[in-house]
Amino acid sequence: MKREKKMLAVLALIVLMLTLAAPISAAQLKSPDTVKTALRLLVQVSNDFKRQITNKNFARVPHEYMEYTEAADALRTGIKDEPADFKARVESRLKAAVAAYQKISDMSAKATDPGPLMVEHAKAVTAMNAVFDLFPADMRPDPNLPPPGGRRGGRG
Amino acid sequence: MRDSVLSRRALLLGSLAFPLTFSACRRSRTSEQQVVDLVIESDGDFLAFRPDELSCRTGTMIHVTFHHTGKFLSALHNWVLVLPNQMEAVDKDAEKTDGEISPDDPRVIAWVPMCGKGERVTTQFVAPAPGDYPFFCSTPGHAVDMNGIMHVTE
Repeated sequence: MKREKKMLAVLALIVLMLTLAAPISAAQLKSPDTVKTALRLLVQVSNDFKRQITNKNFARVPHEYMEYTEAADALRTGIKDEPADFKARVESRLKAAVAAYQKISDMSAKATDPGPLMVEHAKAVTAMNAVFDLFPADMRPDPNLPPPGGRRGGRG
Repeated sequence: MRDSVLSRRALLLGSLAFPLTFSACRRSRTSEQQVVDLVIESDGDFLAFRPDELSCRTGTMIHVTFHHTGKFLSALHNWVLVLPNQMEAVDKDAEKTDGEISPDDPRVIAWVPMCGKGERVTTQFVAPAPGDYPFFCSTPGHAVDMNGIMHVTE
């Protein structure tokens, strides 16, 4: 009897952990469009970071960081009506991602070589992907996709 | 007698000039009718123009309105039309001035100033010779995604 109770308790714990770890479904989100836009903006700005670093346009990097914080705020707006525990999980990971991009911004002030900034950028992308993991797969942006309507690569 | 000849000449010249005056008025009215309004937007906060293809006839007076439809990001955008094959070079030069376009740049056909989210800016110009002309946003780093083509036809 005691053993059965123990097993039930373990099972209940596993179910609870799985429920908490599972991403919220798109249908459950109150503002899926805002969330989807915000997630795509995070990727867009992250790609801009990379572009400015590669072009050695270090003076623009703090500007990109400001935009990253704005994209993060857009995500906060998108989830403001979600359950508190979900918001807390997103906030925790989002804070880590924003901090990672801030580090790049701080480093850019004295940067002359893109190398170290690119290393930090890769870490920041990992932190950002941890945020995306909390959302349904069909809402996560593909970092390799061009923005809608854009003629990637420029012509003329 | 001389006076009467002069007055007849004046009358003749006047009668010839009368239809010419009317014809000039019509021409100017015709050119007024050829003013074309084009509206182009940013794709919200995303780096893209909507639409990213424009068409017009050569010699037409084009009135462009650019609307920055972003809601979340403070990124500035503009619209710059340049001669064929000059987009990358103009964009590269604009990087040095934080995206500002020099009004004396001979490679630039038309442009609107930088604007923030929700703002509208306008410009007008005469459509150049037939051809495909690139346009882009000159905020550093934007042109690679935020660009399009204006087709100018005969």
